[in-house]
Amino acid sequence: MHRVLTTCCFCACGCNLYLEVENGKIIGVTPSKQHPIARGNLCLKGWSSFEFVHHKDRLQYPLIRRNGDLVQTSWEEALGLVAKKFSDIQKNYGAQALGVLSSAKCTNEENYLLMKFARAVLRTNNVDHCARLCHSPSVIGLSNAFGSGAMTNSISELAGAEVILATGSNTTEQHPQIARFIFDALAKGAKLIVVDPRRIPLSRFADVYMQPRLGTDVIWLNGMMKIILEEGFLDDTFIKMRTENFRTFREALRRFDLEQVKAISGITIEQLRRAARIYASVKRAMIIYSMGITQHISGTDNVQSIANLAMLTGHVEQEFTGVGPLRGQNNVQGACDMGALPGTLSGYQSIADEDVRKKFERAWKTNLPRAPGLTAIDMFHGTGDKKIRGLLIMGENPALSHPDLNVMRAALQELEFLAVADIFMTETAKFADVVLPAASFAEKDGTTTSTERRIQRVRQAISPLGASKPDWQIICDLSSCMNYFMDYESPAEIMEEIAMLTPIYGGVYYDRLETGWGLFWPCLNRNHPGTPFLHKGSFVRGKGRFEYIPYKAPAEMPDDEYPFYLTTGRIAEHWHTGSMSRRISALSREWPEAFVEINPNDAKRLGVANRKSVRVVSRRGSITLNARFTDDIPEKMVYIPFHFKEAPANILTHSHCDPEAKIPEFKVCAVRLERV
Amino acid sequence: MPDEVILNKEHLTGFLRKIAKERELIAPVKNIHGDTVFEVLTSVDDISLDLDMKPVMSPKNFFLPRTEVLFNYQREGKKYRFEEVLPDVHRVFFGLRSCDLWGILFLDVVFQEHFKDRYYLNRRSNTVLINIGCHEPMPSCFCKSATSGPFLAQGYDLQFTDLGNRFFVEIGRPKGRELVEKWDYFFGPPTQQDRDEQYEVVLEAESSFDHIVDFDTATSRLMNDEVEEALWEELGNRCQSCGGCSYVCPTCYCFNIVDRAVSETKGERLRTPDACTLAGFTRLAGGHNPRHERRRRIRRRFYHKLAFAKDKYHRPSCVGCGRCVEICCGGVDMFHFIKVVCERGEKSKKVALTLGEILLNAGLISREELEAALERQLTSGKALGVQLIDDGLVTRDEIAHALSIQLGLPEMAGTGGVVGR
Repeated sequence: MHRVLTTCCFCACGCNLYLEVENGKIIGVTPSKQHPIARGNLCLKGWSSFEFVHHKDRLQYPLIRRNGDLVQTSWEEALGLVAKKFSDIQKNYGAQALGVLSSAKCTNEENYLLMKFARAVLRTNNVDHCARLCHSPSVIGLSNAFGSGAMTNSISELAGAEVILATGSNTTEQHPQIARFIFDALAKGAKLIVVDPRRIPLSRFADVYMQPRLGTDVIWLNGMMKIILEEGFLDDTFIKMRTENFRTFREALRRFDLEQVKAISGITIEQLRRAARIYASVKRAMIIYSMGITQHISGTDNVQSIANLAMLTGHVEQEFTGVGPLRGQNNVQGACDMGALPGTLSGYQSIADEDVRKKFERAWKTNLPRAPGLTAIDMFHGTGDKKIRGLLIMGENPALSHPDLNVMRAALQELEFLAVADIFMTETAKFADVVLPAASFAEKDGTTTSTERRIQRVRQAISPLGASKPDWQIICDLSSCMNYFMDYESPAEIMEEIAMLTPIYGGVYYDRLETGWGLFWPCLNRNHPGTPFLHKGSFVRGKGRFEYIPYKAPAEMPDDEYPFYLTTGRIAEHWHTGSMSRRISALSREWPEAFVEINPNDAKRLGVANRKSVRVVSRRGSITLNARFTDDIPEKMVYIPFHFKEAPANILTHSHCDPEAKIPEFKVCAVRLERV
Repeated sequence: MPDEVILNKEHLTGFLRKIAKERELIAPVKNIHGDTVFEVLTSVDDISLDLDMKPVMSPKNFFLPRTEVLFNYQREGKKYRFEEVLPDVHRVFFGLRSCDLWGILFLDVVFQEHFKDRYYLNRRSNTVLINIGCHEPMPSCFCKSATSGPFLAQGYDLQFTDLGNRFFVEIGRPKGRELVEKWDYFFGPPTQQDRDEQYEVVLEAESSFDHIVDFDTATSRLMNDEVEEALWEELGNRCQSCGGCSYVCPTCYCFNIVDRAVSETKGERLRTPDACTLAGFTRLAGGHNPRHERRRRIRRRFYHKLAFAKDKYHRPSCVGCGRCVEICCGGVDMFHFIKVVCERGEKSKKVALTLGEILLNAGLISREELEAALERQLTSGKALGVQLIDDGLVTRDEIAHALSIQLGLPEMAGTGGVVGR
């Protein structure tokens, strides 16, 4: 048995673990003890992360659709067909009819190559990935305020905070290893404020727990800031020296009516005052948030309000003090960094910037398209010029993860050509004309970037199964089929190109990642040590910008016909669309099937029994699943995790989006419940 | 061959090389990433044997692998053909900690008590266990309280004590003696000074624990159902059901059986370690779970490890290795549990004392005598305990007795219920 150190393939905590290899098979994992986040432990997903690798359902050879069925074929034929179809569509409809979905589960190198393939080979900026559905508001909102959309601080700094405000993040379930640092902070006497519509486990340790109604975050955030303003807890020096637009902001905030808070959000002024005093009266305070803040039509507004709060009290630009959007996927930070986004190249360099484009054109030896591309949502809802006809999806499963699935699946069906690269036959792959078998994380080299901007190695432990190939090789081969030669010998060589073209990754080289637990970007050159916390001395954008945000109600609210709020989310033991986690014995045993959380009082009124079937109906569709009683959810609200293909929560959700970030409002819609 | 021998440190590599030629040699190694793990040594050169840090995982998985194929099956028409996969290994563990060795002894009892588990016993019967006494317990260690360390009175094949430039080697079970006799030229007889120094090391180690808890009180509180519901509630809220405590524990032996299909007609039956903090551990086929709430599962865990084990095996199954203390995401570990249970009952007065304070409190020496001995110790270079014995102020037995009384612990880690069988 030998061990290979790698980075966990599930969430963005970025724990390092050893894969234990015997006779070409992975038989177990050992967490790294020295790794600053893993600290000798993993969550249950991490402990089980090796199990899906050898599952019998792994795709091991390319598939091509013949007479309606997907049948085995050679790489040559599969890639030849993809190349031909893409070329045809390009010729017949123009490059804007093509698109790619990159993957937050793939490595930085793979994301970089796929966005390069989209732009340099397909000649379109229609490239996006699932960050659209999770933290696109953070990228925009925090960039507007601070100049950078990532976590301002490293994870371990949480343990040194005096106050932690957690909102829209079920941290113990979704980022258990980050929650561990919160417990460390509490043990040292830190205070905890939890704001969440569901009474999440962390709320039991909170000094103040506030339970707002769904989609009312701007209200309580504005209320909290108004109290801070009224009671004089402002950090005047910070505001004067480091920020701009404060006076306009202050005037608008003065006009904000505190009475609204109780009426709209349900939070009392007394609670809010306690929270405001706790947050504002210390030096080192950290805010952490996640999907509960971002997955709204007001996602960007919510994020910007959080940024306002941090700036108002000077709680940013220092160690142990800042704003932390907790990213979900193992490499969702990296996929954004690599420019798998319609408007930016790697390192958030704008496609609209002439100099940037020239730099990339010179390196890639081709001309680049100028017009920003379509987002992941728009790719499936376009018409006319904006209609996507040929799509390449790498390691994503929109047929389960996108909102309003009935419409989404019809759009997939309507595509002229769909190619999917994945490790399992996902719901999305079933729509494909060509399926390309990809290697899992255990079978390839590369890097991923965790939520704290820590760039770490993924290391190959075993050979790719069957005829499967790492995604980077698939992209290289496909690109060559389309007469644009990509002949990288290894991911390390790809990273050299990334470092050359991407200032924030300028000092990232594989030899530097061998020991020492990775590098934090920005890492500007070979001698640069990396940056654990951002905005030291001044914000990335120069001065932090205040912007007053008015409240905007969710797109769909309960009414007589659909009287319940539905909010969707995740559970600790499953991962997104379940293609990996539901094939792991310990995880599928924990949660074998879908469920809807409902308050027992509501259930009683409806005559629904615990652990018995109930139908949930929205304007878009209906699903049937078991009820699960819990007081942790308030009355008139239900909660469904979206992992289960047998009862997909996203049949119910709608696709109204945040106007700026284009994130759908997964966290709020209206449903009714029916007895089965 | 006497029961105690000396191995010059310079000869350790030679001794291990001989072993590695004949058996699989497994020892704690610090890898390039700084993690200490038990590794199979393919070469004794060019490795960094780490006898200071505790390996991340206990040696348990060498006996109960994370993925253990029990048998393969193949469908032929309407029939199934089965092929058992019995392990055949010949191993020597070097550098085990006393706690980890104790853990293996505990598993020995479990896996042959009612049913002789051939998979376990096949691995175990051809395995030699060499432990190294902990002369410097680590901050999270509490083996002294668990009576499974820092040194063992028996149960080992060989027990090493680090005396600076040499190891003091105690020969225990026959498999250890065989090794020493086979390569006897590496070893020499100990002098009286070696014995004194060894005793000194043990004494120092015994009194240098930061973590001291009272297993007996906690166990009897559990047996009398004296732990209030609020504590289970809090622990249940802190636990995140990661399973980590069970996976790293040297004595958690619960397992799950799953069938893994390899193809349409072939498959394998696997045994994998399980964790009682998981909901699926007790959920019944119809969906009902008698321990649906985490606090119920946590409660069951501590009852099992302390009260039930004590009832069945005459001692708690915890060996005080401290791994759960170091890794728990929510602070729901054995050390803190026992501490809290004792504190929330009558006030526990257990505090870490120096050896001098302990003897002083026991009335064995006066403060003047202690200060004089400390003075003499400066020039003699002897450990305090040895100095006091040499000065004729106390005897070995008196020190041992005082330590056990003062710390509220059974005397010297020893036989307990397990080894005695």
